[in-house]
Amino acid sequence: MNWKGNAGYLRLVLGAQLLFFAAWGGWLVVSRNTDSPEFHLATEPVDPRDLFSGTYVALNYEISSPRGGRCPRRTRDLGRLFVKLEDKGKKAVTKDGEVSVYEATDCHTNPPQEPGWAKADMTYRFGGPVAMYGIERFYLNENDPRKDAKSGSVLAKVKIDRNHNLVLLDLVEKF
Amino acid sequence: MASYYKKFKADLDASAGAGIITPEQAAAVYERALAGSPFASFRAAHWIGAAAGLFVALGIILIVASNWDKIDSYTKLFAFLLLFAGMGEAAIRLDEKPAAAVPLEMIWFFMPILGIGLYAQIFNLSGDPVKPYLVWAALASPAALLSRRPFAAYLCSALLFFTLYYGTLSSNGMLALTAARAADPQPLWHWGLALAVLAGGAAVFPGRKLSLPLGASVIWLFIMMLADTAIKLRSSGLILLSGMSLAVLWLTYGSERDDERASLPLKVWLGAVYFTTFFWHYGGDELVNHSGPDTSAGGALAWLLFAGGLLSVVFRPQRLLPAGSRDETAGKVMLAASMLCSFFLFDANEATAKAVAITANLLLAAFGTVSIISGARDSSEKQINLGVAVLTLTAVTRFIDIFGTMLKSGMAFIVTGVAFGALAYFVNKGRKALIESVKK
Repeated sequence: MNWKGNAGYLRLVLGAQLLFFAAWGGWLVVSRNTDSPEFHLATEPVDPRDLFSGTYVALNYEISSPRGGRCPRRTRDLGRLFVKLEDKGKKAVTKDGEVSVYEATDCHTNPPQEPGWAKADMTYRFGGPVAMYGIERFYLNENDPRKDAKSGSVLAKVKIDRNHNLVLLDLVEKF
Repeated sequence: MASYYKKFKADLDASAGAGIITPEQAAAVYERALAGSPFASFRAAHWIGAAAGLFVALGIILIVASNWDKIDSYTKLFAFLLLFAGMGEAAIRLDEKPAAAVPLEMIWFFMPILGIGLYAQIFNLSGDPVKPYLVWAALASPAALLSRRPFAAYLCSALLFFTLYYGTLSSNGMLALTAARAADPQPLWHWGLALAVLAGGAAVFPGRKLSLPLGASVIWLFIMMLADTAIKLRSSGLILLSGMSLAVLWLTYGSERDDERASLPLKVWLGAVYFTTFFWHYGGDELVNHSGPDTSAGGALAWLLFAGGLLSVVFRPQRLLPAGSRDETAGKVMLAASMLCSFFLFDANEATAKAVAITANLLLAAFGTVSIISGARDSSEKQINLGVAVLTLTAVTRFIDIFGTMLKSGMAFIVTGVAFGALAYFVNKGRKALIESVKK
């Protein structure tokens, strides 16, 4: 049988590709569709953006170096980590008024059952180990004035989805 | 390769013009020869079609990347899936019409990365920078392999090799093989994934041509041995042994046809030997030894490559000189010598390094001379020119590099010029004798 140019096989491949994107899109929509509380995270200054796959603001967070509780001070153990995020009284002012800024208070290598734990991957960056939460990019329209925002001047509005992943919802300017 | 077909076509046309064969026979022979070329079916219209598809695909990606934030996320997802299905189905339905199918296949090839970019934008995804490329290649490869045209397969192979180099040379990500500073070594499964990507890139590459994917693999492996990986090498002897062995292996197995010399691997081998001539100025291993000793895995790999290279030289036809020529032994000796001269560097000091440099110079001189003689015997102007070019480059480099003073360099140029003149005289005399013997 000649596989090359076989319309049946090509349609199977096309179907598999579409199924992949439909399933991925569905999973992303469903996993984020939770009624978990939304909260804010403080950001730290980094290079603001680049233009790969659309304009985005590159974000770094205070919680990228989690401290407190069982969080490792100088870890060489890279890989999966769960970080407890809590309101410890830190506040910031936005256009909607004063909001609470959550902080990292504890760490664990296994996923705790209680809410408020976010999944992170410890990777080695320039200065040492850094917790990456998958919310390090916020994509914008190329004409959106927030593309000039620097980490540190904005707060990230987030929530935790069903799988302990942090979901980046919005960027909010600090006043 | 293109010049080969051009010259072949000119020869056939001349033969048809001289009445040796009919124009129909000339056309049929040319078509048959061209069918073996990987770009045989890629006539001008196909190239234009491919360019059209490429530009449209890149345009769509940029328009989507500009971020239509006023449009609802679900609408964007649905529109993407609809566009994806439409492009794929159109490419399948119009498969018999290349003018439409080629650009559509190009757009289809780029649809997965368009979707990945769109999803990242909608859901603000970030993470491993290598993962999108791997997912793109995994999704695009089956359609590329099933396509009756090779273009998507070439792009897919290029994508996989790009991902291999990009991913393995970074110190972060699922393909990272270079050690991050102060961090633990990269896990073993990274190597498994990297080798799978390498195998995928070579397997997807269309046709039976091995030269390019083998070359990309060989260069990648050598870079991994030089970089701070689990197979890093730091001693000059093992680095040179690995480099020369890889060059010999590429030359031996990267050849495209039985009756034609491999041009790119040959140039790389010549370049490697030429580079070795500069060991004349070698000052010791202090510089490279700053970053630690050789790894045991790297050392074992270097000896394996050498063993493979040596066995290939002994048991496989040499590809240094034209295949089937009477210079088979000379070619094999030169290839083996290029690897064996690395052994001088195992007791690396200035004297042994100079021995390496002298051996390399002798190798280039021998290659140049044998090429000229072989070319004269086979009436191959190209082979003679290659030999002259290698001898000239070697001589000029040495005059500037070693002799130093203008007086000595000037004398050396004159002596070499006279030697070339003598060589040209004897080559011409040999050719005349050969022609006379055929006439008798």
